[in-house]
Amino acid sequence: MTTSSSSSVPFFGMGREEVDEQMMKQQSAAAVGVGLGGLHHHHNPHLHLHHHHHQLLQHSSSLLSNSQLTTAGAQQQPPPPLSAASSAAGSGPPQLKRKRNQPGNPSKYLLLATYLALLLYLHPILYPDAEVIALSPKTLMATNRFICEVCNKGFQREQNLQLHRRGHNLPWKLKQKNKNEVVKRKVYLCPEPTCVHHEASRALGDLTGIKKHYSRKHGEKKWKCDKCAKRYAVQSDWKAHSKTCGTREYRCDCGTLFSRRDSFITHRAFCDALAQESARNPPPSLASHLFTGAGGAAAGLANNTTLDISSSTAHSSAAADILRLGGSTTGPGQFDHLLPPSTTTATSQQFRNQPHLSPSSAAFFMPQQDTSDHHQPFHHALMQQFSSDPNNAGGAAANQLFSLGFDGTTTTNNNMMTLFANNNNHGGVGGGGGGDHQHQMMMGSSTGGSVPLFSSSVHQQQMNNMVAHMSATALLQKAAQMGSTTSSNPNATTSASLLRSAFAAGPNNNHQKSSSGEKQPSLGTFGGSFFGDVDTDNGSSNNLHDLMNSFTAAANGNNNNNNGSGSSNNKKLTRDFLGVGHVAAAVRGIATTTNTISQQQQQIGAALERSSSLDSERNNNNSMGSHSSFGGNPSFQ
Amino acid sequence: MAQLSPNPSNLGSPYPYLRELKSEERGLYLIHLLLTCANHVATGSLESAEVALGQISQLSAPDGDTMQRIAAYFTEALAERIIKAWPGVHRALNATKIKIPSEETMVRSLFYEMFPFLKVAFVVTNQAILEAMEGEKMVHVIDLNASEPSQWIALLQALSGRAEGPPHLRITGIHQQREVLDRMSHKLVEEAERLDIPFQFNPIVVSGGLENLDPEKLRVKTGEALAISSVLQLHPFLASHKNPNSRLLQRQGTLGELLLDQKDNSFDSASSSSSPPIGSPSSSQGKMDWFLNVLWGLSPKVMVVTEQDSNHNGATLMERLLEALYSYAALFDCLESTVPRSSIERLKVEKMMFGEEIKNIVACEGGERKERHEKLEKWIHRIEMAGFVNLGLSYYGMLQGKGLLESYGCDGYRMKEENGCAVICWQDRPLYSVSSWRCRK
Repeated sequence: MTTSSSSSVPFFGMGREEVDEQMMKQQSAAAVGVGLGGLHHHHNPHLHLHHHHHQLLQHSSSLLSNSQLTTAGAQQQPPPPLSAASSAAGSGPPQLKRKRNQPGNPSKYLLLATYLALLLYLHPILYPDAEVIALSPKTLMATNRFICEVCNKGFQREQNLQLHRRGHNLPWKLKQKNKNEVVKRKVYLCPEPTCVHHEASRALGDLTGIKKHYSRKHGEKKWKCDKCAKRYAVQSDWKAHSKTCGTREYRCDCGTLFSRRDSFITHRAFCDALAQESARNPPPSLASHLFTGAGGAAAGLANNTTLDISSSTAHSSAAADILRLGGSTTGPGQFDHLLPPSTTTATSQQFRNQPHLSPSSAAFFMPQQDTSDHHQPFHHALMQQFSSDPNNAGGAAANQLFSLGFDGTTTTNNNMMTLFANNNNHGGVGGGGGGDHQHQMMMGSSTGGSVPLFSSSVHQQQMNNMVAHMSATALLQKAAQMGSTTSSNPNATTSASLLRSAFAAGPNNNHQKSSSGEKQPSLGTFGGSFFGDVDTDNGSSNNLHDLMNSFTAAANGNNNNNNGSGSSNNKKLTRDFLGVGHVAAAVRGIATTTNTISQQQQQIGAALERSSSLDSERNNNNSMGSHSSFGGNPSFQ
Repeated sequence: MAQLSPNPSNLGSPYPYLRELKSEERGLYLIHLLLTCANHVATGSLESAEVALGQISQLSAPDGDTMQRIAAYFTEALAERIIKAWPGVHRALNATKIKIPSEETMVRSLFYEMFPFLKVAFVVTNQAILEAMEGEKMVHVIDLNASEPSQWIALLQALSGRAEGPPHLRITGIHQQREVLDRMSHKLVEEAERLDIPFQFNPIVVSGGLENLDPEKLRVKTGEALAISSVLQLHPFLASHKNPNSRLLQRQGTLGELLLDQKDNSFDSASSSSSPPIGSPSSSQGKMDWFLNVLWGLSPKVMVVTEQDSNHNGATLMERLLEALYSYAALFDCLESTVPRSSIERLKVEKMMFGEEIKNIVACEGGERKERHEKLEKWIHRIEMAGFVNLGLSYYGMLQGKGLLESYGCDGYRMKEENGCAVICWQDRPLYSVSSWRCRK
């Protein structure tokens, strides 16, 4: 370990060397998380850079703390040390205030802020007969409520609009202030019912104040700092933060930014402890299980396989490729965030080559083998992946594997396919991104029964995300939305309504919205993959539309089959959430068919046929390259 | 309504269409089937349940996509519930089932590794303890489930950085396994020596859960400031001693009534809120009250409670199943987006931890049902009734928790404040809550 002899300022009760060592450890843990085995050398330059930078930072921070002790109370101080902060912390509010006064001159700002806060708070008391105004969130947040009918320019105040109208030679009229009339004070309520300021007694005294309050406390934080992860709802807050961001901040190795030294130190303590802990006591790592997985199937060859893989796939670690990040242009920094800490720490241990940290992981999991007997086919698939791994230099090998996947119609199909997706990504890493392209083209040209499987792997690549399908939460939400829980059962109503009410009361409402905005697995993207649609540039709205179409199709199919079975009495159980009657019908169709299994199968088959025909229709219309017709596939019938 | 009748030819068929379903369709279909099946189980129509179970198992897979995995564990749980009607069969099926504590510990630590929940809970807990122990010279911390030394190592380090110097620290660790405590003791003593903090570790081995804890062993001394940390330890005390087996002895025909009957065990939904005290009719309340009373009697300066923030203690099977479906869907989604599907560790956590919990929530009744996770507001009410005051987490503690969550890099994890407590969520679904308390004297 490096020893810096320049200064011996103790940091947090530890010697300089120890700090260094820990930082080193963390650095390696963070940076190396991408890979396994021999991979890490790639990142060394980067790692060292980081390390030095950090050392510097660390150094200055410890110096700072020293000077603080002697010149307490000086102006322009960094935030107080931990002890002072925690003494104040019990009382809560002062902390909040300190947080707010980040921008500008602290002392002045604080005074002004206190004054304003006091004024706002006292407002209802000072002016008890004030007019209480409750605005809806929409009107409150509307920036330009007064629109000019000629040029559509918006204004915040009516007076301004009137002045503007003058320019168009339109009739205009300024409101004259009546000097005799006593201006009635106005107070504003926060539109959020759960907010304390929703009550008239705690209304706020000015419109901008309530606007800011509403966006800060209940609004979306749209303004993101480009330097750190902070988000702000009010633009001015964001601006103020942007001015100071990075100038007085403490960055931990784990990537967390702190603007306060004390919070940084406490965080460091925990971060360090975690790293130490996991270094001493290596958790069964994510890396090891792969090998044991292979070992479980190969039953004695485990060691061989392990060796083989770790040596031949040095360029793309098992961990990274399983996370399906291969071939992307993202830097290593992004990778290690995505890796769960167990991987990170495990790899860092290997990196550091500590002798006591190498338990035989294969042996570790052997006792469990009997419990996972039913995963045998899965192991088998895994084995295949492993055996082909070393050859997998580019897209060619992947292609081969792929066609193999089409032939197999066994239960392992799904697993194999996901693994193939891995493999393809793998190729992408090797070929420097070229693999990706090949993969997609392959997708576009192939037709066949494994459409759902392959579209899911396209999906993976498109999203560059680990989730290959709709999340279970989203599915539940959708089920509740569609009322698919309705069934022919006497208790069905309760279950459906339960699910629906759980959905309504539950937090999943926003999930879909937020996730589609953030490129998370969403309905929209799924819609794309639903049709084996390779076009990545499709807007999510378009995809959503596709999905709707597909369900409409399913609806038609089901209705055809269902006409005689008297399901119309269930109509009242379903609600037309999406505003598409067919969707509800589809749901009812699926839901009410518990009568016999064969009937159900027929219906699903029919629905799929319908959806596939619609699919090809749509593809023709859009003149897209990819065709995936279910109907034409013999293995499907 | 036409009854589903088990048709051998159909059952034997490989369901080609079902297997070709795409992930989403299959997911929706699985949800539908699961709820249908649960309905049948709840109403006691076993033949229908049997058919539904058969269908689900054609589609579910413990190593498939999230919905397939979830469906696999829920069907297992439903099947177990059905089988419990024949206690002999049930016992025979589990005749060779051995509970290995070391495995449980291992799965717990996997859970700790894979999710940020416990880590965030630890950070927030430590911060609350640090703040409460400001200026104290003798600090005693009781950890009701001492399995992760890292939390206390972090506390040691934070305490050593105190302006007024480190206190005398004593940590009492409670765990089922002697080895875990020994390991912890070793690590903590080592760390304390390194930091030069006067330190003492007091291990207490309690077999068979905290119910068997002897409060005397905690050896709380006068003059020391006490902190209690409870991570996922309180909800088992909600289990009542009612033994459903005596009633389940009846056979199939009455199973339906029986299962319906269990609705009557409305454990907490209404009654617990009004009556605090000791010797109340329901034994579940008695146990919880006893324990909270023991804790209160120690007059801790701070008590930090982490619990699952979901409602898995509903009176009816359907209620619980639905709630569990939602929260475990969120947990499985967490894993799906952070851990590869092929991970054996993921399978282990899913099977040995979540799977077992689901089984307990769905299949068990009465005293056997330990996983009685409840929402934060119920805990707040309950702990307040036991004589504690909600301290409210500091802004600072929240900030640290949030920082740690953000550093996890996965977008789905969130943290919010609710009544001064921290709620850790996946997307918008609350999963765990951390609250801090002090004694009201």
